[in-house]
Amino acid sequence: MKKVLYTSGCLALLALGACNKDLTQVPPSSTTTANFYGNTNDFTQAVTGAYSKLRNYPDAALWMGEVRSDNVVIATDGNRDFQGINDFSPNLTNTSFVVTEWDNDFSGIFNTNTVLDKLVTNGTNIADTSLRRRFGAECHFLRAFYYFNLLRFYGKLPIVTSALTPPQVAAIPRSEVKDVYTLIISDLQYAAANLPGAYSGADVGRATSWAAKGVLGLVYLTRSGPTYGLTSGPGLASGEYDLARAQFDDIINNGGFVFSTDYPSIFSYTNENNKEVLFDIQYISTTNGGDFPSQIVPASYWTGLGLSGYDNAYGTSSYNVTKNLLASFKNSAGPGVTDKRDTFSIKHAFLQTTTATVPDTINPFEKKYINPALRGASRSDWPINFIVMRYTDVLLMKAEAILRGASGTQSYVDSVVNKVRTRAGIATVSNVTIPMLMEERRREFIAEGLRWNDLVREGMAVTTMNAWIASDTIPTIRAIIPQYIIYPVPEAEILTKPGLYTQNDGYY
Amino acid sequence: MRKLACLITLFTLFFTVARSQDQGKVIKGKVVDETTGKGIPGVSVILKGNTTGTQTNNDGAFSITAPSLANAQLEIGSVGYERQVVDVKGRTELTVRLKLEAKGLEDVVVIGYGTQSRRNVSGAQTSFDVKTIEEKPIARVDQAMIGQMPGVVIKQQTGMPGQGFSLTVRGPGSIAGGTEPLYVIDGFPLDVVSQGTNGSFTANPLNNINPNDIESIQVLKDAAAAAIYGSRAANGVVLITTKRGQIGKTKISVNAYGGTSSVAKKMDVLSPQEWIDMSTELDNYKYITKYPTASVNDNNAQRRIVTGTAAGAYSVQYMNDDRWTQPGHPGLRYVNWQDEAFRPAPFQNYEVSASGGNENVRYFFSGAYLDQKGVLLNSGYKNYSARANIEVNASKRFKMGFNLAPSYAETATPLAEGKDAQLMHLFNMTPIVEDSAGLLSGAGKNAVYQWASSSVSPVAYLNNTISLYKTTRILYSMYGELTLAKGLSARSSINYDESNQTYKRYISDFVAGNISNYLNIPGRSSSGAYSGFKKQNIVNENTINYNITLKEKHTITAIAGMSYSFAHTESYTLSTANGFNNDAVNTLNNASPTAAGVTVTGNTTETNNALMSYFARVQYSYLGKYLLSGSIRRDASSRFGIDSRWGTFPSLSAGWRISDENFMKNVRFVSDLKLRASWGRAGSSNIGDYQAIPTLANANYSFGTTAANGEVPSGVASPNLHWETSNTYDLGLDATVLKNRINMTFDVYRKVSTDLFLQLPTLAASGFLSALQNIGQVQNQGLELGLNLVPVMTKSFQWSINANVAFNQNKVLKLGIDGAPINVSTAYTGNPPFLLQVGLPMYSYSLIKSNGILTAADIADPKVAKLPLETVGDTKYVDKDGNGIIDANDRLLLGQPNPKSTWGLTNNFRYKAFDLSIQMYGQEGGVIYSFLGRATDNPANGRNTTNGIWRDRWTATNQNYNAPRGKIGEAYTIPLFTSDWLYSSNFFRIQNITLGYNLKSIISSGIFSGARIYASLQNYFDWDKYKGGVNPEAENTNVSGSSAYPLPGDYGAMPLNKTITFGVNFSF
Repeated sequence: MKKVLYTSGCLALLALGACNKDLTQVPPSSTTTANFYGNTNDFTQAVTGAYSKLRNYPDAALWMGEVRSDNVVIATDGNRDFQGINDFSPNLTNTSFVVTEWDNDFSGIFNTNTVLDKLVTNGTNIADTSLRRRFGAECHFLRAFYYFNLLRFYGKLPIVTSALTPPQVAAIPRSEVKDVYTLIISDLQYAAANLPGAYSGADVGRATSWAAKGVLGLVYLTRSGPTYGLTSGPGLASGEYDLARAQFDDIINNGGFVFSTDYPSIFSYTNENNKEVLFDIQYISTTNGGDFPSQIVPASYWTGLGLSGYDNAYGTSSYNVTKNLLASFKNSAGPGVTDKRDTFSIKHAFLQTTTATVPDTINPFEKKYINPALRGASRSDWPINFIVMRYTDVLLMKAEAILRGASGTQSYVDSVVNKVRTRAGIATVSNVTIPMLMEERRREFIAEGLRWNDLVREGMAVTTMNAWIASDTIPTIRAIIPQYIIYPVPEAEILTKPGLYTQNDGYY
Repeated sequence: MRKLACLITLFTLFFTVARSQDQGKVIKGKVVDETTGKGIPGVSVILKGNTTGTQTNNDGAFSITAPSLANAQLEIGSVGYERQVVDVKGRTELTVRLKLEAKGLEDVVVIGYGTQSRRNVSGAQTSFDVKTIEEKPIARVDQAMIGQMPGVVIKQQTGMPGQGFSLTVRGPGSIAGGTEPLYVIDGFPLDVVSQGTNGSFTANPLNNINPNDIESIQVLKDAAAAAIYGSRAANGVVLITTKRGQIGKTKISVNAYGGTSSVAKKMDVLSPQEWIDMSTELDNYKYITKYPTASVNDNNAQRRIVTGTAAGAYSVQYMNDDRWTQPGHPGLRYVNWQDEAFRPAPFQNYEVSASGGNENVRYFFSGAYLDQKGVLLNSGYKNYSARANIEVNASKRFKMGFNLAPSYAETATPLAEGKDAQLMHLFNMTPIVEDSAGLLSGAGKNAVYQWASSSVSPVAYLNNTISLYKTTRILYSMYGELTLAKGLSARSSINYDESNQTYKRYISDFVAGNISNYLNIPGRSSSGAYSGFKKQNIVNENTINYNITLKEKHTITAIAGMSYSFAHTESYTLSTANGFNNDAVNTLNNASPTAAGVTVTGNTTETNNALMSYFARVQYSYLGKYLLSGSIRRDASSRFGIDSRWGTFPSLSAGWRISDENFMKNVRFVSDLKLRASWGRAGSSNIGDYQAIPTLANANYSFGTTAANGEVPSGVASPNLHWETSNTYDLGLDATVLKNRINMTFDVYRKVSTDLFLQLPTLAASGFLSALQNIGQVQNQGLELGLNLVPVMTKSFQWSINANVAFNQNKVLKLGIDGAPINVSTAYTGNPPFLLQVGLPMYSYSLIKSNGILTAADIADPKVAKLPLETVGDTKYVDKDGNGIIDANDRLLLGQPNPKSTWGLTNNFRYKAFDLSIQMYGQEGGVIYSFLGRATDNPANGRNTTNGIWRDRWTATNQNYNAPRGKIGEAYTIPLFTSDWLYSSNFFRIQNITLGYNLKSIISSGIFSGARIYASLQNYFDWDKYKGGVNPEAENTNVSGSSAYPLPGDYGAMPLNKTITFGVNFSF
């Protein structure tokens, strides 16, 4: 009897020891922050993770930049999220594009902050010190990039410069725009000083010092823009056109970029990362395909091609290039001449079904990035990069800075604009003014998502937009008021910690 | 094979032992029913203190041999009768009158880690009369429990065969941690499996259990009863005991039934003609709105000119199909999609069991086969199950046994439930197709009918897809019990539960909706997947029991033990990367490669968790009058942080049997009266593994032409994560009056769940939108009343009633750090419709309220808030803040998803050889927001608007301002989540009507000890006000789209089945 008790007692104790150990479990199927950041390879993957949130950039540029502007007008078949953006609804706080971009950029900022923190604590695990410095500089660039996107779309922002816990973040209110600029500029200056000028092989597409300088130039140009009488917009009327010009000059003189002589080749699937490109969002088929070519395209276009699964999954809406923009191409080219950018960027007629004989000519749309022959497996698998900034942009921004008061001559401005016009196959002009320059930018950068920011930067967002609404007689679009130069903060952000963030004026 | 041979040898041995008999004097006798005087067959008659036992024959007669007649005592018992011990006193012939068991009172009930006389139970627990299962055709245990127990709510979320139902005890006490109880089968606590976020179950613990194998079901409702199961008992505990062999002759019973199912309710949709009327109106409205020169009376030729459409072509938005108005609508076929996809479906079920035993060995074997065709095309369920329970007294002191329950099931579950799945298509499919395509509209080479919403025919889809689950499950328990001294025993058990599930899915390109690929690259648009999991759970439990009665007054029962549980799950998934080479072979070896040479993508994952526990309980009774019980459990789970993984779960309860007091002696009509009070704390760790550990997730990118793997933190680390705990206070009263004719149980309770697992919304600047924390408090409080009545009890006619009602009030007490309300959004565009707010029931609805239709006067009145572009005939909304704008601030609180009260009522009648039972249940006080309703009933959805409610719409010619809906085809932007699609979820249903006839009076061959035939109707009659779907309890889609706030809702549900069944029970 005693023996039995004794034996079972021992067995029980043995079992307990073994079982207690089982209470500490390590996940068999995922890495943990405790066993990561141990070597160069881990950090390489962590930095790649910091890039990954760039993938939403093109969609935001198109929906919140292109669709918002006078380039595109949407006729929809129902209750779609983009309608409010296009119509200037004051109720956009739950609009998915507006919510996603906010969340996405802040997630990108968190990821970069995580790497920056880990570089401090675990950085010595990267033996190659120059690589360690580059990783840090890439993260500074990315953080500035995400913040600059947010600043232009939403105005004031909470400043977070390390990976903080939710309660810590809940104590940080939105900072003034000028303070956010301070962070952006210091990050970009660090990146410009520490990033390499170019990459080769499997590193092509990472941020270069030239990318940092280009964005920095744009930051100065944007900050110099008008305030619209607001304190929360991206423009602070800071008059830093010379600072902007200095960045552009550096790129033009030392960057080794080339003004492409053939407009379509800049966007060619077989000519990615070409000499025009300062920075682009990278996509390849299968593992990292892009979905932006499918975004503002009517579903019937794909039906006509006999393709399914390539539409944007938003029903049968049409995303028409505005009459105003079509006229702009026509008028600037003059009679009998066609702007090559028009031909390349706009689909003027297409068949709506595979059996149709009469093409749809009333719904022209932007097709710049579409090459059906080289498509991926689905709407989200396009193997084509989206260009964020290209050399032509740098040249035109320098001209813009000059027209706004930076040192330089009218003849330089005219020469740049005429370079662009000549490439497009249309006649040259002289005595280029800001409105002429901006209209040229509109044609040059159609479908690249720049138009809305251009309008805001040059103080045209209210006047030009309202004039367009009147001239194109679009009843669904509300009159633009200055408050609409930025978007509202997503409702969830306001509700999560009541009183911490105040909603942008003009929205509810 | 060798194992099988071994088993057979073992069994043979048992039988041999069972047959051994002693020599001596013969006692002959008869056992009769005290009331009817008729012989009772199958009664076990055992010579006390000996191994000798026998059973009565068909007439109730027995004969048994005893070594001596003088001191012999016979122990006589049968299910349903009170056990008797008869002193033989030298007689060689005797008649024993057995009394029908006084219902409930003297039962021994199963409690956690033991049994207890029902008299002495002081916690709140409710049991389910399992005899009712045996008499009815029940495919699942949970189905049988519907409406039977107060406070135990079983939802029939779907009519898809083979699917588990959700079971909630006393209201939901957790926001994200699941509300499913712990199931314990024959002492084996199964790993808790939560309802999926969409309302389904991947491995419901009740799957594969043959209802007829069950001896008893107990639900431990309050923490005092359940706390012995500690950390897993916060949502209640369901104890299931399977049948064991009884001492006596082998008893064989056979049950067989079969019948037909059909859909209990179809969705009310527009008929083809009604749809044409609506569509014509829509086209005309769009036409004249779009073109200033247009007139409604323009024919199609004129419309072509106005719209610039080519000859022979149609601009379908602005033009009607000419054939709609032609007699006989040539070239078109009108279709009732529901009639085409639902079918009467046969089912059949066979069960055989054998049980018996002697003093040394008792056994129970059973086998069952169920084949249930689904009412929806291509759905069905087959289950093969077996069970062996064997217990052996190896020596005087040592008892051992095993339970073995293997099963295999095949479940064909078409991809039919949820958003944009086939049932939703069935409900909103245009009821017209081109005659040339017929039911294959949109499939193969057939285009979709031009005016139709672009869907592939659901009939073609269901017929050309495979979605098949195969599940093998084995439950195994082995135990030994050693008597160490009088009243002291030790028990140890090893339990193992393994589920293996495979899932095959194949969607032929015939129904993939890609005509071009179907014709030009056959197979490319086909897709397939093969996935599955293996789940293993091993549990070891060791307990020591001690019972003692002191001076015949003080009874003490004590138990102490430890338990260890380890669960391991590994899952895999494989799917096509680029379609198939052709349609002839649908296994993945026929998948076609991508440009990169990839044919199949797949991965595997594994997860583990361990639970370690110590527990003890002491129960004390003074003369059965004063009862006290206390228990404590310490649990540690690997799911929590190293410093927070241990939790302590104590409980206390007391009972006072008032009826045993002297002052009650004269109150004759009260047979038993007991007051109970209890408090206990239980826990929940139901959040999934590794939540406390900060893990990384893939976040990929590419550089140049090279894919780059990226890693980012996947969530906020929660190192202090710990148990959700619930404190329950319960006060109860049990009464038996009028000689057991009335049995009543009354409970009032308050359950406060604290430290809830909550994905608290966080600011995006933290990198995440939510973080898992132990924050928040939810309270459930309520009343429960259970009543058993026997209004009539005569020889030839008996009538008994089982009634129960439960009221539960659910309320959020605390949230977050500063108590800010949480607005829970859906996965779809619109204002957040669900609200978690202190003081309100969980997930209260916060919606914009529709309030009739805008009149011309409203349009003219600037004080009436309108949406931009709204005109006469559109919906009028309530402007709560009166600022003239309809927006999120105008949301009103419009009800709670959980019912406030639930009830069940069962009437059983027995007249001579006939028996009749009628089961009803229902609920009140809840509402359901239907996403399916919104999808089929929305002025902006154009031709997809098929809900029958649009029959009575407002039109320019029929200006009915009292119509349920306004104008069709509206241009204004609807403020999504309005009260238009909120429905009362009140319903009541006659769940089952069974009429049986006992054949014993007809069959007198002597072979059978019992024979009965019956017919049964299930779900045949119900009443509800739900127009947004077919079942007010439907759950099939996680409408929040987030696992942080699992909100199963209705986006196209499989209707419940109504079935008619005929069956027979035989025992011999």
